[in-house]
Amino acid sequence: MIKTPYGHKVYAMAAEYQSAAALYEAAKRVRDAGFRRWDVYSAFPIHGMDEAMGLGKSWLSGWVLFGGISGLLTAALVEFGPSSILYPVDVHGKPTNFFTVPAFFPIMFELTVLFAAFAAFFAWQGMNRLPRWNHPMFNWERFSRVTNDGFFLAIEARDPRFTETGVRQLLEETGGQHITIVHED
Amino acid sequence: MSERLQTVPTPEGEYFDSGRFAGLSFLLGLVAVVALVLCVVGAVLNPHQFSYSWLFAFAFFFTLCAGCFFWTIVHHATDAEWSVVVRRQLENLGALLTVLALLFVPILLLRHHLFAWMDIPRGVEESLDTKRAYLNWPFFLVRAVVFLGFFLLAALALRRLSVRQDSDGNPWFTIGMRKVSFISLPMFALCLTFGAFDWFMSLNYRWFSTMFGVYIFAGAAGSSMSLLVLVITALRQAGYLKDVVTVEHYHIMGKWMLAFCVFWAYIGFGQYMLIWYANIPEETQFFITRNTQSWWVLSMLLVIGRFFIAFPILLMRSIKKHPHQLSIVAGWILCMQMLDIYLIVLPALHGTGFRPSIWDLLSLIAIGATLGFVYLRLVPRTSLFPVRDPRLIESLQTVN
Repeated sequence: MIKTPYGHKVYAMAAEYQSAAALYEAAKRVRDAGFRRWDVYSAFPIHGMDEAMGLGKSWLSGWVLFGGISGLLTAALVEFGPSSILYPVDVHGKPTNFFTVPAFFPIMFELTVLFAAFAAFFAWQGMNRLPRWNHPMFNWERFSRVTNDGFFLAIEARDPRFTETGVRQLLEETGGQHITIVHED
Repeated sequence: MSERLQTVPTPEGEYFDSGRFAGLSFLLGLVAVVALVLCVVGAVLNPHQFSYSWLFAFAFFFTLCAGCFFWTIVHHATDAEWSVVVRRQLENLGALLTVLALLFVPILLLRHHLFAWMDIPRGVEESLDTKRAYLNWPFFLVRAVVFLGFFLLAALALRRLSVRQDSDGNPWFTIGMRKVSFISLPMFALCLTFGAFDWFMSLNYRWFSTMFGVYIFAGAAGSSMSLLVLVITALRQAGYLKDVVTVEHYHIMGKWMLAFCVFWAYIGFGQYMLIWYANIPEETQFFITRNTQSWWVLSMLLVIGRFFIAFPILLMRSIKKHPHQLSIVAGWILCMQMLDIYLIVLPALHGTGFRPSIWDLLSLIAIGATLGFVYLRLVPRTSLFPVRDPRLIESLQTVN
């Protein structure tokens, strides 16, 4: 754990950039330097940033597929369970066995979509460690401009390649301004 | 902000060398002539079966070309960027509607074999008499001329404007094509819907479904996107469009295939379930024929093949980004579209079960080879992509 001379825990070293393009170029440099625990911040999504950061494929889709299949199976269970097994009722002369499935498809479809949407929402929250009360980046006053016109990049102290001099040098080389240490708390 | 290196194509564009494929062109022309002659024999020998076979083959290729026309007008109406590089092929395929308008003539000639309502006199069947205002021969003919005329003129106009833009890059052509497309969108919806009612639904004049037009559209849009994937892959295989169409474009085409795979299932199921649930005899007859006897096997194959197999495969991103794997799926979807159209047309003739006929195959070959021959004639005439489209650079750099 890296600490400042005053005993604060260090969260990251961060820098501000002039534009989205500068941030994009800096991200490519940081990616190529081999850092794993770092992030960029801007008020809007920057096209191609995934690639520039070397993020790879998000596994959110796996959770969505899991949610969708759960929804489909849930619907099948709560429809066929009562209607075919527990309490079969003759409705309009329709069968009560598997061949009543057209009547059940809309619910299967809807629960598939609903559970997939829930999975997408909650898995996204979990993967981003949300919700949370605060984030160390907010300890930096300049960072409040991130929702307006600020473009920031922060390399976390827990990254194995993190050294104060090395990261500062890298951020300077990429054109970062107002380079600073961000406290954990 | 793409990392992809892009070489801007030369304003001359890329041209298809027809000399390299003269053999294929000749073969297609020969097959087309032989098959068309045999079809005339069929029309004389067995006009009843042949008329249905021809309608089936016409419908299959008509939905494909009308779908390509649809994607062209959607491209212009939405000012799309990604599809600029594939648009010329959509225009070429859409222009085949002119040939299809000619190939519609046999259906008019053989109309008495296809449409029973034309020969039933007034006063015999009340359910038909209430539809006489719509289902009568003069109005049918007028509608056919209007529908096919619209498709033909709009498709040719869009192709012509687009080709003219190749020479000077005037952005007014883009505006002009957009205006044509705005008018074409509602016209397309009306012409395809009522065309489907006239030519396919009225094979059984007692049956009706308000979703039928959308159902035909859903199949047409998805399968024409599959056809586009196959055509683009074939051109790339021949060495063209290598630096123009990228994996990103394939990814988008794959996404559209997925979207219309789901949309087809949604509409097809919606049509089926409402009829199945309400259980009214005049509505259920259509599905009873197709869900009993040997037709049942083909109907199940359609449902499973067109949706339950294609859907999970198309969900995978790796397949959508892989031109050859996506082409295999596209070929499968085209086969399923053919089966879909077969199940709409032929059970109207063989109500007692699946009876394959040589004329089904011959009609398919005749129309397919004719269209292929004309297509190979159309492609070399222009650049393989719109070289001076204002959106070309954005299209080349598409990332999604």
